[in-house]
Amino acid sequence: MTGVHQSPAIELRNLHKSFGLAKIIQGVDLAIHQQERHAIIGPNGAGKSTLFNLVTGKYVPTTGGVYLHGQNVSGKKPYQVNRMGLSRSFQITNIFARMTVFENIRCGLLWSMGFRYSFWNLVNRQRKLTDRVDEILQQINLLARRDELAGVLTYAEQRALEIGITIAGGANIIMLDEPTAGMSASETSYMVDLIRKVTEDKTLIIVEHDMGVVFDLADRISVLVYGEIIATDEPQKVRESSAVQEAYLGSAVEEAG
Amino acid sequence: MSIERQQSTSVKTSLIPIRSAMPWLIACGFLLLLPQFFPSGAGLTIMNQMAITIVFALAYNMLLGQAGMLSFGHAVYMGLGGFFCMHLLNQVEYNQLYLPLPLLPLFGGLFGLIFAFLIGSFSTRRAGTVFAMISLGVGELIAACSIIIVVFFGGEEGVSGDRTMGPQVFGFDFASQLEVYYLTAIWLVLAALGMYLFSRTPIGRIANAVRDNEERAEFLGYSQRNVRWISFCASGFFCGIAGALFAINYEILTEENLNLATSGSILLVTFLGGVGFFVGPVIGAVVFTLLQTVLSLYTEIWQLYLGILFVLTVMFFPFGLTGLIAMHFRPWVLGKAGLLIRPYAKMTVPALVFLFSAVAVMEILFHARHSSIGSEEMNLFGMTINSHSPAPLMIAGGLLLISFFAVRNLAPGLWNAWQDANHQERET
Amino acid sequence: MTGLLLFMLCSGLTLIFSMMGVLNFAHASFYMLGAYFGYQISTYVGFWPGLILAPVIVGVIGAAIERYGLRRVHQYGHVPELIFTFGLALLIEEVVQFFWGKSQMAFEAPAALKFAAFSIAGNAFPAYKVFMIFIAIGVFLVLLYILTKTRIGMIIQAALSHPETVQNLGHNVPLIFMGVFGVGTAMAAIAGVIAGPVLGTFPGMAVLLGSIVFVTIVIGGLGSLWGALLASLLIGWLQTFAAAYNLRMADLLTAIGLTEPVDLAESLLSDLWTLTLPQVGPILPYLLMIIVLALRPQGLFGKRET
Repeated sequence: MTGVHQSPAIELRNLHKSFGLAKIIQGVDLAIHQQERHAIIGPNGAGKSTLFNLVTGKYVPTTGGVYLHGQNVSGKKPYQVNRMGLSRSFQITNIFARMTVFENIRCGLLWSMGFRYSFWNLVNRQRKLTDRVDEILQQINLLARRDELAGVLTYAEQRALEIGITIAGGANIIMLDEPTAGMSASETSYMVDLIRKVTEDKTLIIVEHDMGVVFDLADRISVLVYGEIIATDEPQKVRESSAVQEAYLGSAVEEAG
Repeated sequence: MSIERQQSTSVKTSLIPIRSAMPWLIACGFLLLLPQFFPSGAGLTIMNQMAITIVFALAYNMLLGQAGMLSFGHAVYMGLGGFFCMHLLNQVEYNQLYLPLPLLPLFGGLFGLIFAFLIGSFSTRRAGTVFAMISLGVGELIAACSIIIVVFFGGEEGVSGDRTMGPQVFGFDFASQLEVYYLTAIWLVLAALGMYLFSRTPIGRIANAVRDNEERAEFLGYSQRNVRWISFCASGFFCGIAGALFAINYEILTEENLNLATSGSILLVTFLGGVGFFVGPVIGAVVFTLLQTVLSLYTEIWQLYLGILFVLTVMFFPFGLTGLIAMHFRPWVLGKAGLLIRPYAKMTVPALVFLFSAVAVMEILFHARHSSIGSEEMNLFGMTINSHSPAPLMIAGGLLLISFFAVRNLAPGLWNAWQDANHQERET
Repeated sequence: MTGLLLFMLCSGLTLIFSMMGVLNFAHASFYMLGAYFGYQISTYVGFWPGLILAPVIVGVIGAAIERYGLRRVHQYGHVPELIFTFGLALLIEEVVQFFWGKSQMAFEAPAALKFAAFSIAGNAFPAYKVFMIFIAIGVFLVLLYILTKTRIGMIIQAALSHPETVQNLGHNVPLIFMGVFGVGTAMAAIAGVIAGPVLGTFPGMAVLLGSIVFVTIVIGGLGSLWGALLASLLIGWLQTFAAAYNLRMADLLTAIGLTEPVDLAESLLSDLWTLTLPQVGPILPYLLMIIVLALRPQGLFGKRET
């Protein structure tokens, strides 16, 4: 376990979120260390996606706070949170389908390479930008499809592109929302390798249903049930915890069986 | 479907890639030579009108095509730019303000920019329908104000001036149509180039991203609102240039330059041309201006035809005229254009009969309802017929019905042929 | 008065918008079609059959346009849909001019209603206006009843929020959409028939009212029926008030302690001093819209993100 002495990469303090009368997140406390690979698991409807949206600025918490490197970011807009070094992917593939693969990655890079809202640079002339895009395409093995429209890629390729866009900006906290959902076994193992490769030296938070992926990737696992975290521990201990098995793993095994 | 695809692969090393500069050089040469072929006053007037419409439509498409924002009140930015320029011209004339005429469009652009900045500050918060409705409201507000605020807008008569009162530039005083044509043409090229380059900048690319998926763009560090606002300001700037060119050409601006009809017609021009392409608005503006000039000579109900054309375009060709050309361009490049010849040949006669009989039915009906009492004769395609007797109408109507069913039967064949010609491309 | 008429238009528009997510730009054109059909029918068989028949015809036309036009454009997204209805508005105006020409029609209120119902402070209040108010309220009540109390209303409300579920339950959602579009346009036509004799039946009547209708539903909050009601009444009242009180800006400025410049005609501010309330009347709705949106971007009652 690294970085216990530093301030945590992400800290959730007594986080609550309700939609009308429905309390989706009911008091979550969680600290995720720097360079940790943290998985969040839980049955459907446990509030995993809501938790994601709270951290990334899409939703504003009802009470409680989200701290990024010790700074309170609750109430900040998604783009502000992103500029502080946090980037996320989406459960449902969320790419720019009408642009080329190359341009998709470039969009992910523009802000972090300092282009911001500039209208005095031409993107095609930026040698460093283009080289960096190609580097990332190489990393996610999509260089061969560089000039295809993103919309015509296969599903697995689109998921890889989704991750490419997410990591492009060089954020040091990466949040992935079910990156292997709907994939075959071989695609999944390919994806796990890819995720491991591109998030090296970064903090990774992943929501995932596939237990194989979770136990393979994660340093620690949090189990979210009905808006509360019932356990946070190393994979082996979570697997052995009877409370977790009862609340979640048992049912997951049944579902899978 | 996108032209941008070729762009990203183009040569990056040379300072000005020849391949991307070529179309611009050809366009410049074309503009330079055009007055040789149409030296008449009327020809120059139409060309100037075209040039202004092109700048306006391109600026409009920066919003609609590039940023996905539908504006129903865009005449405001062109109109306000024009009104300010008119006042500047009057300052030049009466108060000895030193301002050479060729620089006027720059100021028009600045005024357009300022207004777009102000109005965009609240209108660009939302995209889609809400933005469209706010733009409509603001457009109506300013059009209505133009009648109330007489000092600035000149009330019903508008504001007029004289472009020739400024300092001469290289011996030109811009009294002749030809000089104005060249001035307009230079600004057309400058503005078009500026808008083209804008679409290649980081903000231009991100505007596309926000158009396609605003949520994703937010999670990449961009505020969708700011991106829309900046696109809106840029569009306002180029609209202002178009307004200044209008002021120089016509030397008068009225409420008509601000109202909903003008805003609507630019949407029509841009959409007819094709919003997904940079050249779309150019083609739209040229075709629209020609249609307007030629059709209005021959028929009173040209606006009805235009309306029908527009609605059909939205329904069947959402990529406009340019999209239609592009659809045939690809089979041509692939060498599969041959597949299209037969179905097109089969279609030609029924389609022409359909077109002419439809026009005939409408013209006869219109004449029958609206001709002055006693004049029952009308001229149709060179024939003189009696619009009040049932025979011509029945013949035209019968032809219309027959050709309609023929076209409908043949259409799937053409559609399939076109798909074949395009589809094989993916496997090669 | 204007408020209730506005509301009749806004309610149909809101119904279509909240149901299908389409803002029907041509809505006011259907109102105009209603007036023209009402007129045409009244020349043959009188006003009353027209009041029934014209909305039916317009409703059928509306449903056909939904079926053969809008449904096709729907696949391209909301912006092309809006452009389509905009084109439709242009086209309907041209078609109306094609058949009826540019001048105003002699569409008159039925003789049975040409008497003063009562008078307030010496101003006679015509029976026809009372009749208009009753129709407007009646249409609203029927709509409310259908939406909240009947089975078809339940299905519509369900289809509004969960179209897929309703589809899976075996209801024909496209048919419901077609029906809603038809009913919405028919409501606009009713407004057209009863407004035609009072406000005039001419090709510009759609444009005249159209923009105000859109501004109204933006102020009320897109998709909110109650917002539409409140905003229509507010704007109706505002316009009536502005037309009725000849308040001069000069009086107002003097009241707050400014003195009128002597050389008024020369002054740049002359427009400000000579401004009167009836003059600014037409722009008040737009100003209201900007103020409301600056303070509350989603409109008074709006909640839906678009």
